[in-house]
Amino acid sequence: MVSINAVKAIARKEFTDKLNNRWIVVISIAFTVFTIIISYFGSSVSGVTGFREMAPTIASLTSLVIYFIPILALTLGGGVIADERDRHTLDIYLASPISVSEFIAGKFIGLSISLSLPTIIGFMVSGIVLFLNITNASILSYILFIVHSIILGLIFLSISFLVSVLFYDRAKVIAFTVFAWLFFTVLYDLGLIGVLVVSKGRINVDILSILLMFNPIDIYRIMNFMSIGEYSLFLGLSSIEFPKFLNMPVLWGICMIWIVVPLTISFSLFKRKYLT
Amino acid sequence: MKITLTDVVKKYGEFTAINSVNLDLNSGQMLGLVGPNGSGKTTLLKLILGILKPTIGNIQVDGQVLDPIKWKEYKGGVGYMPERVSFYDNLTGIETLKFFGQIKGGSIDNIKDVLDRLFTKEILDKKVGSYSKGMRQRLNFAQAIINDPNVLILDEPTSGLDPIGIKEFYEIISGILERKRPIIILSSHILAEIEDRVTTVGIMKDGQLQALGTLNELYKKSELPLKLYIISKSENNGIMDMLISEGVKIVMSTKNEAGAVTQTLQGVNERILHCEFHRDNKMKILSCLMERKIDIIDFIVREPSLEEVFFGLN
Repeated sequence: MVSINAVKAIARKEFTDKLNNRWIVVISIAFTVFTIIISYFGSSVSGVTGFREMAPTIASLTSLVIYFIPILALTLGGGVIADERDRHTLDIYLASPISVSEFIAGKFIGLSISLSLPTIIGFMVSGIVLFLNITNASILSYILFIVHSIILGLIFLSISFLVSVLFYDRAKVIAFTVFAWLFFTVLYDLGLIGVLVVSKGRINVDILSILLMFNPIDIYRIMNFMSIGEYSLFLGLSSIEFPKFLNMPVLWGICMIWIVVPLTISFSLFKRKYLT
Repeated sequence: MKITLTDVVKKYGEFTAINSVNLDLNSGQMLGLVGPNGSGKTTLLKLILGILKPTIGNIQVDGQVLDPIKWKEYKGGVGYMPERVSFYDNLTGIETLKFFGQIKGGSIDNIKDVLDRLFTKEILDKKVGSYSKGMRQRLNFAQAIINDPNVLILDEPTSGLDPIGIKEFYEIISGILERKRPIIILSSHILAEIEDRVTTVGIMKDGQLQALGTLNELYKKSELPLKLYIISKSENNGIMDMLISEGVKIVMSTKNEAGAVTQTLQGVNERILHCEFHRDNKMKILSCLMERKIDIIDFIVREPSLEEVFFGLN
């Protein structure tokens, strides 16, 4: 039987920790400020400042989020096991009548709320400023952008749990967190471009699309650009038509897989590492 | 409740942390687990806690090998106090206890009396970050008993406690033992401290339970001699020769501990004999002393300490 009280207690503790140490407030303010700055100065390279239409604004914000949210999520969850182990509280949990899945679920729910709340607050507050300054702004596109940003955070939080379980040593956790961030934000796409160049663009679009699904950041980009309806242009892939099977529900489904799979592996690795 | 470990082996790759341990634990029993660092004490505790699983052998609770669901039920009645724990600095003492109460299915109402003894209300309302080492240890103990456990496992429970804290701790433990009769396992390296408090002692070395029994059983098993101190009135009274003839080994014969003659007891010169003899000769030695009681001011028979037994068995 699932101990809902224990899951709730762990989740509440994780959330109140982040609330009490002002992490949530600081990140909310950071999201608000960055969003407003990027929205206002997004076109400054072309000599123009000021709020633009919603589509280019979301495109600019997407570029902010792909760097900001993954690193926040990875650092938030990366130390989740190492911290409890270093405190010696992990043994108290393991000797308690809660299962590993309840322990991890409690931690994940608490940190998910801690990460999602400032995302919502930050983008909602800045959203009000945007809607007051942008004519014919699409509320739906912006809401979808927030939802996708939350999903991206959950995916990287799930990856961070896997990192936390994989590496015993806190220094290794930090090193791998930085590597994972670099890999998904820069190296993976660089590798894909490299493959395209070497193969002289002969790679099938379907295969390329499938390869993009192995990077949650690419999925996030595609989802945002699909929601604003101009994804090919912003992706720099104007000559490429994405296959029809890559529609929004399918992308959401793939995102769910990205959340569930690392978390499930974390769960079974944790059991194997600490409870055998 | 009864916990039985049968031929339990715990291996990590090639390394054997626990080697063929057999152990019976019953309600009301307080086992003192002693052994040098790395002897396998913590691994054994984690096996009993259900955190680790034996590589070979089994652990039965009330005659049953537990499945995962039963282990979860069992853990609901377990209290564990790790040796060192660093609680969350941003929670108050009472918030910490409420939190672990929710995790373990307990409540601070279960330990209201104990809390009154261990803390003042002001301290419980303070953030744990401001607690002294002793206060943290008290909090650690309180969380261990918050679910009113049937099995209480305490790893070096008095480290960081002052003498008053240690006294209070053992008073609370004996209160719990009397009221609830749980199985208590207490791991410690301060042998003198647990000597008079536990019902059974287990001595671990190299992953093996080298000796297990009541203190008296261990004293007998160790075959360490009893120590006899005789304070006699004068030097040439023949006590020494008589004791030697009865198989007593004279370890030391001095005027006093400093080796000098002192005028005490109305001007009588004291002579202190420090002897050792086998337990079987106890009554014979006593009759000898009775025969020469006129020459004897006082005598003391001392059992070996747990520390001596520990080193004797190692």
